[in-house]
Amino acid sequence: MPSTAALRVILVDDNAERANAVARGLALPGLEIISVIPTASGLLYQMAQQEPDVVVIALDSPDRDVLESLSIASSHNPRPVVMFSGSGDSGFIGDAIRAGVTAYQAEDIQPERVKAVIDVAMAQFSAFNDLRQELDRTRAQLADRKRVEKAKGLISAIHGVDEEEAFRTLRKLAMDQNQTLGEVARNVIAVLEKSRPERK
Amino acid sequence: MTDALRLPVAEKRDLRLGYLRLNDSAPLVMAQELGLYERYGLAVQLEREISWANLRDKLVIGELDAAQMLSPLPLATAMGVGGMRAEVMSGLALSLNGNAITVSRELSSELERHGGRVAEGARSTARALGDYYRSARQPPELTFAAAHSFSCHIFLLRLWLQCGGIDPERDVRIIVLPPEQMVDSLARGIIDGYCVGEPWNSMAVHQGIGVIPATGYQLWNNSLEKVLAVTEHWHRQHTATHLRLRLALMEACRWLSDPSHRLQAADVLAQPQYLNLPVEFLRPALAGELVTSRGQPPLPMPDFHVFGRYQAGFPWRSDGEWLASQTSALLGKTLPAERCKSLVQQTYRTDLYREAARHLSLPAPATDYRPVNAHDASWELSPGILLGADQRLAPAGGAV
Repeated sequence: MPSTAALRVILVDDNAERANAVARGLALPGLEIISVIPTASGLLYQMAQQEPDVVVIALDSPDRDVLESLSIASSHNPRPVVMFSGSGDSGFIGDAIRAGVTAYQAEDIQPERVKAVIDVAMAQFSAFNDLRQELDRTRAQLADRKRVEKAKGLISAIHGVDEEEAFRTLRKLAMDQNQTLGEVARNVIAVLEKSRPERK
Repeated sequence: MTDALRLPVAEKRDLRLGYLRLNDSAPLVMAQELGLYERYGLAVQLEREISWANLRDKLVIGELDAAQMLSPLPLATAMGVGGMRAEVMSGLALSLNGNAITVSRELSSELERHGGRVAEGARSTARALGDYYRSARQPPELTFAAAHSFSCHIFLLRLWLQCGGIDPERDVRIIVLPPEQMVDSLARGIIDGYCVGEPWNSMAVHQGIGVIPATGYQLWNNSLEKVLAVTEHWHRQHTATHLRLRLALMEACRWLSDPSHRLQAADVLAQPQYLNLPVEFLRPALAGELVTSRGQPPLPMPDFHVFGRYQAGFPWRSDGEWLASQTSALLGKTLPAERCKSLVQQTYRTDLYREAARHLSLPAPATDYRPVNAHDASWELSPGILLGADQRLAPAGGAV
């Protein structure tokens, strides 16, 4: 019975790290990841050879138009695919697209089974995006901290105050100007670095 | 120019507009650079998309407010073929023509050997292709590519093949490839030719990888190429915003209709935040001086890209009906005439074009239909309304 056989899934994503995460997430009973490929150049061949039930594809892959072209009946396209739209729940499709992923399914597969695949893929994509944002935030914080240290050093060197006093100055500036410490530090560095060579 | 203050207030000021890396995204880009969106009280963020499917889906789910679309794509989306089904429509065409066919150097020599002359037009090279195909002891296995299943590229490519007596279904293989992969696939011999929008033809010529045997203009003079697409739902909720957006883009198209502005547009489009390509790839088509083979002198083609002129903004229902019928033919179906008419009526909103034209005090066609194969030069539809030539190649020995 086709309804009990494992769903055969191809994953198309050129971000190897993310693809691995998604593939791990999809390692579930009832699913079989038959291949993970970076681009669709080769997808036509893979489609013909492997006849997947579902193709999960990253939105930043340029190959979605290629994949959709397979849904047009033609002698060399063995398996028509249609975009997942089974439940008629357009909000769900929107969520998947906003998460950066979408999927296509063979015509004879029950949409409900595919929804589970997309749920997992979507969660993995979101998690990956959150992780990247987290990383960006951490990097920004680190850069801010370095900037504050540098600004402190410049203030104490030029005005002959200790670092604690320099930090209080920065904090007061930040509060007065309604800016973050990082922003104030950036401005202070810009001003002091311009003025320093003349003073020395 | 209209007085933006007297227009209905925009329901939404901040808009996101989608486009792809093509020469004919010029209206969307130049409207930004020239401050035209601002003039109409809009703040537009341009979003470069990587596939038509992404662009369509983001438009449908509301991530984009409006987008540059291939002219058959609103129809295909309304028909629900290939991907998502939704009511997408257009009240403004952005450009005419702009495509070309590129073939490998090997295939180009065969065309030449069989009497195909690029300078003599698409019919000459189409016949040469047919002669080459039929004269070989074993018919050559030819693979062509286009950028999307439901695009003028596919339809033009099919016209060219049919004009040479080649059956696009049986005699050759036609696949879809992203434009960015066309040149490389041609160089590696994976495909023998392709039909795509500029600059992806000039790029192959510039690199000595391909030769252009036919332009979109030669295959069908002044055919509707890109349209400004919005969803029916978005239009209903943002009628005033939509009008302002069309007016801004119509002014951009008018600016682009001046040949002396085209090189400036090429410089802007080439920038990293837009097409991010060497400007040499963009210049030939935008300047209307196409180089069809590396080292050859450019051929004058002033109408290679048409913006603004010849009522280029008018979403002709005649063109829409042809595109809808071609879309059905591609699916192996026939669209009943009534269904075709009503589909095009909902999708190609000539009334919205006329509304915008009135605000700009521009004349607009009173009819929704333009003829085919009736004029081989520009002509006057009615006083003050100049249209371009309208020749379309016909399949060899058959009806259109």
